[in-house]
Amino acid sequence: MNTQTPSNTYFDEISVGDKLPPLEIDITPTLIVSTAIASRDYQDVHHDKTRAQELGSPDIFMNILTSNGLVGRYVTDWAGPEAILLSVKIRLGAPNYPGDTMVMSGEVTGKREEQGKYIVDLAVAGKNKLGVHVSGTVEVDLLKAAS
Amino acid sequence: MLADKAAIVGIGATEFSKESGRSELQLAAECVIDALADAGIDPAEVDGISTFKSDNNPESEVHRVIGGKALKFFSRVDYGGGAACGVVMQAAMAIATGVCEVAVVYRAFNERSQYRYGSGASHKTPAHNYDGATRAWGGVHGLVSPASNVAMSATRYMYEYGATSEDFGRYCVLARKYAATNPKAWFYQKPITLDDHQNSRWIVEPLRLLDCCQESDGGVALVITSVERARTLKQTPALIRAVAQGSCDDQHTMTSYYRENIAHLPEMKLVADQLWAMSHLSPSDMQYATIYDHFSPYVFQQLEALGYCGMGQAKDFIREGHLELDGSLPTNTHGGQLGEAYIHGVNGIAEAVRQIRGTSCNQVKRVQHAVVTAGTGVPTSGLILGQL
Amino acid sequence: MSDEQAEFKAKMQSYVDRGDEGIKTSWDDVNRPMIRHWAQAMGDNNPIYTDAEFAAGTRHGGLVAPPTMIQAWTMKGLDGQAPGSSTIDPMAEASELMVAAGYVAVVATNCEQRYLRYVKPGEKLHHRYRLESISDEKKTGLGTGYFMTQLLEYCTEEGEKVAEMRFTILRYKPGKREPKRPPRARPGMTRDTEFFWQGLHEQNKLLIQRCASCKTLRHPPAPMCPSCRSLEHDTVEASGRGTLYSHVTMHYPPLPAFEYPNTIALVELEEGTRLLAGLIDLSAEDLEIGMPLQLEIVRCDDELTVPMFRRAQ
Repeated sequence: MNTQTPSNTYFDEISVGDKLPPLEIDITPTLIVSTAIASRDYQDVHHDKTRAQELGSPDIFMNILTSNGLVGRYVTDWAGPEAILLSVKIRLGAPNYPGDTMVMSGEVTGKREEQGKYIVDLAVAGKNKLGVHVSGTVEVDLLKAAS
Repeated sequence: MLADKAAIVGIGATEFSKESGRSELQLAAECVIDALADAGIDPAEVDGISTFKSDNNPESEVHRVIGGKALKFFSRVDYGGGAACGVVMQAAMAIATGVCEVAVVYRAFNERSQYRYGSGASHKTPAHNYDGATRAWGGVHGLVSPASNVAMSATRYMYEYGATSEDFGRYCVLARKYAATNPKAWFYQKPITLDDHQNSRWIVEPLRLLDCCQESDGGVALVITSVERARTLKQTPALIRAVAQGSCDDQHTMTSYYRENIAHLPEMKLVADQLWAMSHLSPSDMQYATIYDHFSPYVFQQLEALGYCGMGQAKDFIREGHLELDGSLPTNTHGGQLGEAYIHGVNGIAEAVRQIRGTSCNQVKRVQHAVVTAGTGVPTSGLILGQL
Repeated sequence: MSDEQAEFKAKMQSYVDRGDEGIKTSWDDVNRPMIRHWAQAMGDNNPIYTDAEFAAGTRHGGLVAPPTMIQAWTMKGLDGQAPGSSTIDPMAEASELMVAAGYVAVVATNCEQRYLRYVKPGEKLHHRYRLESISDEKKTGLGTGYFMTQLLEYCTEEGEKVAEMRFTILRYKPGKREPKRPPRARPGMTRDTEFFWQGLHEQNKLLIQRCASCKTLRHPPAPMCPSCRSLEHDTVEASGRGTLYSHVTMHYPPLPAFEYPNTIALVELEEGTRLLAGLIDLSAEDLEIGMPLQLEIVRCDDELTVPMFRRAQ
């Protein structure tokens, strides 16, 4: 566990067009299986290689709940513990198979004040060597400025 | 002439399995020592070795580990199972010419547990040499396995002569019947029916699973020496009446697809012609045959090449029961490589020796002469054994 | 849209219009162990999920569950749906009809979650669900099919809605498009054979070697003419017409670069030489020795082009 106190990103500090720092995630069998189980998704294609191959995949692959979870993590890693996710909308593409690396990237596409919330719109993508695994948009509510 | 100059005086083998649990070198050493013990010859006397080019155990190393002292002859024969009788020929020639006195041949491998021999090479990184360039003709289309190479010829054979999968199945049922009563066979006590054959899955149409030989772990060795020495030893010698190799016009390895007729085995015909000429014997003088059975259709083409029946008539020859124990040519009484094990044909030579000795578990009455063939679809070989 | 298609779509739409709504309950309260497991598995170090003291000092006011974990709480798990869950499933009913119509494949395509507030350990969740929409038939990269969207609303025991999710799947007829396969093995080449592969790849021609002296054609190529022993040779371009001389249908062992069963031919070209070639749109039962075939030169990838044949018109 990371023991550093994570810092927050504040609404006033960011501009449309800002890039989130990229995050590389090694797609290991351990990651695929442990996240599938953590999300209580016991479908065999996410942990049983033989079965996955019978169904036409070269290997086990990441489940959608995890892709969603990783998008959320990627945003809050950047936004900090005070951030509140309002929505995560993702679209799935190329599967995440073991041995691959997914590189996540993100960009601020909008910011607005709405009913007392300081909302930032983000476009996020996770690419692996087969192509775009996940792409989507995230709305996050940030603190306006450091108090 | 090479006829009647040398004899097989010892046979030895490991058990036949799907996972030997030991090194290939150990398998080689074990079967060689077993064969020498069978012959009653001290391992230190071995001064000649011939083996398959595809064997992973160096002659010098096998000689070293069995406690050999002076190895004066060592050689290898190429073309997979086509080498089976060729290695005996090498040994016999070395003995006949006085190059060595006690020669051993062996074939020992873990071809099931260490590598799937039957899968064929799928060379990801191509070899830019003759072999790589030749594999490419079929390789780019996925034609890579030995079964697929044979299947191409089999399809044409079926078309030319009206042979059917059931016809092939009749041979397979017979081989498994023999294996069922051979305690050393992998398929001991496991006979099959024609229905079993017909219901077995396709490997490469027109070949079914039960048309294909096994992949085995194991080793078999033979001891070969002069006729004079053979007379002094404890076993009934199996005299090498004739031995020959053959490679023909427009010959390719497993893919002789460009000849006038691909449903024949002219290289085996070339071997057979030499065998009959060298031994002054004819097909009807044989009381037993080991016919190399890596894939059932080639048994048919070999029977035709040897002269037991006309082209395309092997299906009738087999259906009429000639290969049965009470038939005119009992064949592969050890169960063949379909039933006993796939040791590149050397186990079939050992069975022919047992038939000559009168010690087979499926013994044929009074075997005076036995014919043995090696792997086909490749440059090949054959031999005739007889009573001294 | 044909009448038949319209009728099918109408039937699908009826599952949506019926508006059946069900409830799925959760086996467990929102709880710290499952949250910790999730956070560790995801590599998510946000302390608001696991560090109570830290979380209390933030505007969350205490520990919260990761919002993206919302779906996990009511997943059925290994022992089926938690007690009190509905059994109705309009999505499954519609799917059954689609499978019968050939839309056999399914893939999750979109997941849209909106969080009204973060949930806290101790809360017990359930979700209400209904089939919200079925698209018209769409052509996609995977094949033709329908997008089906289910709306799930996550609520507390008190009935307060905390999140909603639209989950979209595509149910489709797998397209003819070849699935992504590793490339075929590269051909080994020597100076004797490279013209053959280069002819295919660079000139889109099937070349046959010809003895420059006695004009005999030969394949596979060789440095010397077996008829007259000449070392001189050139090539002629094959017309592309041929007949099926022999064939096999590969089943086992499967190589990942190929689709199975894989039919492979020994083709006799009208020029007289034979060659091995793959077959297009011809399965084992279509093959008859002697049947006329037509060459199709197929580019497999940036390095390899192979000769293939289809039934001649």
